[in-house]
Amino acid sequence: MRDVDEREMLFRRLSAALGRHGSPGGTPSSPAGPTPPPGKESGRISRFAEALTAVGGVVLSGTPEEALPVLGEALRAEGVSALFFPQDDAGAREVAEALIPFGPFTLTTGEEVRGGNPASTAGFRTADAGIAETGTVVESSNRGGTLLPGLLSDVHVALLPSHSVVERMDEAFALYAEDPPRNISLISGPSKTADIEQTLTVGAHGPRKIIVLLV
Amino acid sequence: MQPTAHLFPRNAQKALADKTLQAALGRATGRFLHHRAEAVAAFPGFGEARERASEIKRQTLAQLDHHLGRFIEEASRRGAVVHVARDAAQAREIAARVAKEEGVTLAVKSKSMASEEISFNVALQEAGIEVVESDLGEYIIQLAGEAPSHIIAPAVHKTREEISRLFERKLGEPPTDSIPALVAMARRHLRAKFLGAGMGVSGANFLVADTGSVVLVTNEGNGRMGTVLPRVHLAVAGIEKVIPRMSDLPTFLRLLPRSASGQPLSSYVSVLTGTRREGDAEGPEKMHILLLDCGRSAILEGKYREVLKCIRCGACLNSCPVYQSVGGHAYGWVYSGPIGAVLTPLLVGLPEAAPLPDASTLCGACGEVCPVKIPLPDFLLELRADMRSQGLKTPGEIAGMKGYAGVMKRAGLLEALERVAGLLAQFFTKGKPVEGLPYPFSGWTERRDFPAAAAQPFRKLWKTRRGVQG
Ligand code: SF4
Repeated sequence: MRDVDEREMLFRRLSAALGRHGSPGGTPSSPAGPTPPPGKESGRISRFAEALTAVGGVVLSGTPEEALPVLGEALRAEGVSALFFPQDDAGAREVAEALIPFGPFTLTTGEEVRGGNPASTAGFRTADAGIAETGTVVESSNRGGTLLPGLLSDVHVALLPSHSVVERMDEAFALYAEDPPRNISLISGPSKTADIEQTLTVGAHGPRKIIVLLV
Repeated sequence: MQPTAHLFPRNAQKALADKTLQAALGRATGRFLHHRAEAVAAFPGFGEARERASEIKRQTLAQLDHHLGRFIEEASRRGAVVHVARDAAQAREIAARVAKEEGVTLAVKSKSMASEEISFNVALQEAGIEVVESDLGEYIIQLAGEAPSHIIAPAVHKTREEISRLFERKLGEPPTDSIPALVAMARRHLRAKFLGAGMGVSGANFLVADTGSVVLVTNEGNGRMGTVLPRVHLAVAGIEKVIPRMSDLPTFLRLLPRSASGQPLSSYVSVLTGTRREGDAEGPEKMHILLLDCGRSAILEGKYREVLKCIRCGACLNSCPVYQSVGGHAYGWVYSGPIGAVLTPLLVGLPEAAPLPDASTLCGACGEVCPVKIPLPDFLLELRADMRSQGLKTPGEIAGMKGYAGVMKRAGLLEALERVAGLLAQFFTKGKPVEGLPYPFSGWTERRDFPAAAAQPFRKLWKTRRGVQG
């Protein structure tokens, strides 16, 4: 109740501040149209890869036969011992399971990691989209998707279908504009901090490495 | 947070004497400036994005009632509970009430200037609720019991040795001189907090009106942990954070990280809309949004409205020679640097913060870097005029300015005085700055060194050099 009164009073203060008489103004005027795209239109995938690599991400492409050993090697180098993926993400499951021979890796679940499983983990998930402009992987809670693989893991492996790489941020947000899910996450590089002596250090809270597997 | 802005001169002196701080500040501001300049140069669309962002903010503020109304409507429709606080006391009361009603005993918080404004942590602690800062820099200064010293690098004044000793004392960790080891320790302790917390507290970089979304931009990823894992999400934000549409976000996202740290985009951007949906794997069951007026509607009414365009990037701090010298603590409140020198007097009152508008050389650098084109140098001058009209200068300073104007108007007198001063300076101080002038000029040198008069007056140099080239 109090909240509603306070709200009304705020709007009265705002109207007074804006010199309005009576109720708030009508339709707001709309500033200029969308910003034109930076960069050229061709070579979207390579621009995506270049931008993500520049901020410390790793982008792998090629056939599974080529990519899997490289990925396995990268995960071992990071000391990863357990893999997890969303139960309903067939693509992520397939890759994670195919990696087992390249381990020693065990399988775990997002819930176990959330419960405090101390293993060093790689979290797999299929991304919603990629953004070439900034080398960004987009993951969301759209259709019940889980964010834990890109949140709680030590290494995040994002599966990115090449056709879902867009040029600019604008196009990525447009995917959700109609009915935004609870959480849209733009991931552009590893979790990092420079809070101690301004020395860039990865793995502050989330993954210290992000690997994108173009599929 | 209790303002001590009126103590700026004393605080500044203390900062100038602190060698660690001086070294860290020089490095930090230089690094940020350098990275920003590189990022801006590498992005041809920067100028255009800046124009556009400035215009969007200007128009949004001109119709803030409309856009804020829309934000509240859309956020509420998607399950958020929106609260409004007139002032800090009321905001604290609401925050404590929300936390208690939600049965929270532990809250994890990501960095939020707005929450500092209202002393959020104190409110919850008084209600018996533990609040843990989760931004690494903020966590360190919380353990140390200090206040942040930079918008985006709060612990810039601490060395790794100090941090290791702190972790030893407060967390029982073994000593180390490895920065990655220190980061890993903090990560482990904070991870346990994230997993156990009942509520995640965030600020908001932007509030999106047409979807009711709260937008967070971080590099560490603490903001996302605290808004995915705990059962309750509370966002605390000033009413001026609203932008009209989700489609406006890219413009601001192209400016904010580049201006702050020189990154094309921060590692994480979270766009958070309402509560978890049915069938969602995770996410908060409850979302509260606490909107702060706390002096903003009054600013909206006056000639300083545009200061509300600020997106808290910190670029003006890094570019400011005064900030580069004295750091953030000297400003005595939440906001520092040029934006602090303008915003603090407006939010806490000019008498409380009177020295701040003087804490500027008016070099104009802040106005040039500001990604939303806030006329900071004009505002600083304007505030000085306001100070004077409110009688907030010392009488000595005003008499000094009058005498100065009188002398400048008479060229003969000026020349004679210059010659005397030039001689005296060479004789007494060997051309070094004068640290103490006699009364009535002591009012000047109490706070700053008076530059020694040059051996040759500028007008004389001008004449001779022009003669040579001419
Ligand atoms: S005033 Fe401008 S430059 Fe300073 S923090 Fe705000 S947006 Fe950045």
